Amino acid sequence: MKEALIKDLKKIVSEENIRDNPADLYVYGSDASVHEALPWVVVRPKTIEEVQRIMRYANAELIPVIPRGAGSSTSGHTTPIDGGIVLDMKQMNRILEIRLQDVLCRVEPGVVDDDLNRALKPYGFFWPPAPASSRIATIGGEIGANTSGLRSVKYGATRDSVLGMKVVLANGDLVNLGANTRVSTAGYQLEKLMVGSEGTLGIVVEATLKVVPLPKFRCLGIANFNKLEEAGETISEIMASGSSPSMLELMDNIGITAVNKNLSLGLPDVAAIILFEADGKVKEAVDYEMEGMKRICEKHNGFGIQMSYDAKERTRIYTGRKKLFASLSRYKEGIICTDLADDMAVPNSKVAECAEKIHEIAERNNVIMSVYGHCGSGVIHTKIMMDVRKKEQWEDARRVVEELYDYVDKIGGVTSGEHGIALSKAPSWKKARNDLLPVMRAIKKALDPNNILNPHKLQDAPDDWVTATKLRYLVRG
Amino acid sequence: MKTKYLKEWENELNICIRCAYCFEGCPVFKQLSWEADGPRGKAVLAYGLLSGEVEPTKYLADKIFQCSFCRDCVERCSANVSIPDILTAARADLVNAGFKYDAHLDLLDKIKRTGNIFGREIHPPIQGGETPVLLGCRFLERADDAKRYLEILRRLGIKPKVVDETCCGMPFGVLGYKDELKAQQDKFRKKFPYKEFICMCTTCAFFIGKNYPDLKPKYIIEEVAKRLPYYNPKKLGLKATYHDPCNLARGMGMVDEPREILKQIGVDLIELPTKGKGAECCGGGGGLLVSDGPLAERLAERRMDQALGRGVDILATLCPTCEFNIGNAAQRGGGKLKVVNLLDLVWEALR
Ligand SMILES: Cc1cc2nc3c(=O)[nH]c(=O)nc-3n(C[C@H](O)[C@H](O)[C@H](O)COP(=O)(O)OP(=O)(O)OC[C@H]3O[C@@H](n4cnc5c(N)ncnc54)[C@H](O)[C@@H]3O)c2cc1C
Ligand code: SF4
Ligand code: SF4
Repeated sequence: MKEALIKDLKKIVSEENIRDNPADLYVYGSDASVHEALPWVVVRPKTIEEVQRIMRYANAELIPVIPRGAGSSTSGHTTPIDGGIVLDMKQMNRILEIRLQDVLCRVEPGVVDDDLNRALKPYGFFWPPAPASSRIATIGGEIGANTSGLRSVKYGATRDSVLGMKVVLANGDLVNLGANTRVSTAGYQLEKLMVGSEGTLGIVVEATLKVVPLPKFRCLGIANFNKLEEAGETISEIMASGSSPSMLELMDNIGITAVNKNLSLGLPDVAAIILFEADGKVKEAVDYEMEGMKRICEKHNGFGIQMSYDAKERTRIYTGRKKLFASLSRYKEGIICTDLADDMAVPNSKVAECAEKIHEIAERNNVIMSVYGHCGSGVIHTKIMMDVRKKEQWEDARRVVEELYDYVDKIGGVTSGEHGIALSKAPSWKKARNDLLPVMRAIKKALDPNNILNPHKLQDAPDDWVTATKLRYLVRG
Repeated sequence: MKTKYLKEWENELNICIRCAYCFEGCPVFKQLSWEADGPRGKAVLAYGLLSGEVEPTKYLADKIFQCSFCRDCVERCSANVSIPDILTAARADLVNAGFKYDAHLDLLDKIKRTGNIFGREIHPPIQGGETPVLLGCRFLERADDAKRYLEILRRLGIKPKVVDETCCGMPFGVLGYKDELKAQQDKFRKKFPYKEFICMCTTCAFFIGKNYPDLKPKYIIEEVAKRLPYYNPKKLGLKATYHDPCNLARGMGMVDEPREILKQIGVDLIELPTKGKGAECCGGGGGLLVSDGPLAERLAERRMDQALGRGVDILATLCPTCEFNIGNAAQRGGGKLKVVNLLDLVWEALR
């Protein structure tokens, strides 16, 4: 079967763009999640036509196809749970057009976020999602996961900036979705549906993106808090005050300790830090926003507040923030940072309560959890830190995930605000949004009747994430 | 496969969150661009060997050896995971499992027979000063250059002591012959019994610093940078670019010293597109020259093209392997670029 598959694929793409050596399959079998499963073959298409021909073939032969950018997603998005073809999209990486008169650009899906921003910078524009992973995240992956980031509190997530796209459907048909205009009421906005569809509805082969002017001034503030709760209240009040932060981040003591240890950042050893930023064209307007946010920090006992327009200092702090996730693995010897229960979003008014609850649940279940995130947009990042080699810790993790998401649902939050559902968040999300499942299944069936596109994810994912695939760690016992 | 060495890296391999941040600058990934060619992919393969989930094969071993140990991935890693160290362990386990390459064995045999990588008797220019100086294989072979660099030290007030030396063992460590490394280290210690000394070669300085915990090698450029201002060097009035050797910039953190020297000797430095700790590798390290020569050559050609693209015809560097690899690329490219050791420019400014 495999030989026939390779032989057929060679008729579509050149041999040098096909890999089926077990070593390659093993590498493409994992991403930044805890999951692992092997594909049958990895293919690197270079043209839209090649993608179309691969899809036509896979659809006829009922072979699963999993699109993959950098493979940096965190919940098993690219795990080939049923085997099949992994489409490595990184070779389709041309910036096709920067059309400033229409304030947009057109790109292939393999373009890396930072590369696009480097190309836009000389024109005074940027592509706004800004995930911490921007140095490697591809536009296709950002669309697949509806990526957002540090500045989404002001500029929105990927979905807010995608105007249109070319998509190859499961049957190989090429469709043009969306428009080149800022508004469009011509039919269902299927381009928006594609964003966040986790590779289950079609292969994005080109995207038209709205770009945003770079602000002239950017000011970053840092405020320290002795109580996590007070930091949470500050965030809620800043958002309710009508302020317009371009970034509003929270970091708890565990996060502070981890980045200090790993990156020697020298942040103060306090219960929590809030990073707040404003940007704009006029300095007085930025000052006005910053002063307003500073006053709110002070009202909630924020202290040691510093504000700076210095780009170097900003870069230093952002670097710490962008590397926080990995730094957590250095928090305590033998304790590893796993990407679980990592990005719930809750209403602003619940950030403080949720932060406290996370620590309580963690303690009760023998794991460590850090609380940080783009709390201005309601996104709370946590990571479950545990001894991944011990089987019983996975039982602990299972309980934590369940309890935490039940709580998030109860307070009106959502399972994922940023990274997506895929496998490890699917059971909790399915439980919370039972009503959605038939609708989503109907959409999936309409667009992918043979269930070949990234199958068994989201609404179709297994009910137990721990056993959904092999775990990528060597677990004993 | 037995994983005697990789076993020690399980925790680090778990700490790696598989974020792929390390893709960004890996020179091998940039050339070959399959994920198994990048640092994260190699870490995953090492994990597979450790867990027994992937078979050790020649194909896999080739991947593990296709790395120039440039440490760009270490610099970018969010979790401070050292891929080169993990690969060193993986290489050692693969070698013990029988994955031995003729080119590697040939090189190591030369060292075992003669104490240097060239496989013939070479004696250094013995000098009876006060400060021990280790030449390293490459400068041992370039005796005239070595003598000039020793003269630089002398003019800067250091009395070099040069003795018959033997290879520090770097190729054994890097190519996975860990068990034999120990024997070479013993030989090295016997022939070169000093605790504090100056290294003429970047790679020896870095390797010894990392693998001989009790020794304190100092890289020659540290001394030159410190002393040169007091000796009134001439201004050369040249325009040149500078290639940061990986072991020097990322390995030992010396980015400013060479630039300060260039400034003092009146060289108008035109920087390459990537520099300092973000500088691209020339492909000469990690045994890549013997493991995959054509790939190492392609990487050096990239660096040469970048230099020519900056409109310069002189590229200065410090590591003799960078000099060798980019120098060969320059020759293949028609000799438009002249590759020199920065110490030669210092010599011009001092004489
Ligand atoms: C350290 C770290 C930090 C992170 N920070 C953030 C953050 O701040 N914000 C955030 O939102 N996320 C973050 N992420 C998650 C992840 O990096 C982002 O979701 C990123 O955008 C994924 O891009 P990728 O190229 O790696 O996509 P992949 O992981 O390869 O794919 C993501 C999804 O998109 C699908 N896909 C990929 N290409 C296509 C295509 N051409 N057509 C259709 N579907 C496609 C895949 O099937 C998959 O479902 C982080 C991850 C890590 C490891
Ligand atoms: S050391 Fe250099 S060549 Fe090797 S994996 Fe890291 S970045 Fe790539
Ligand atoms: S950057 Fe570090 S943590 Fe991330 S994949 Fe590479 S080695 Fe692992």
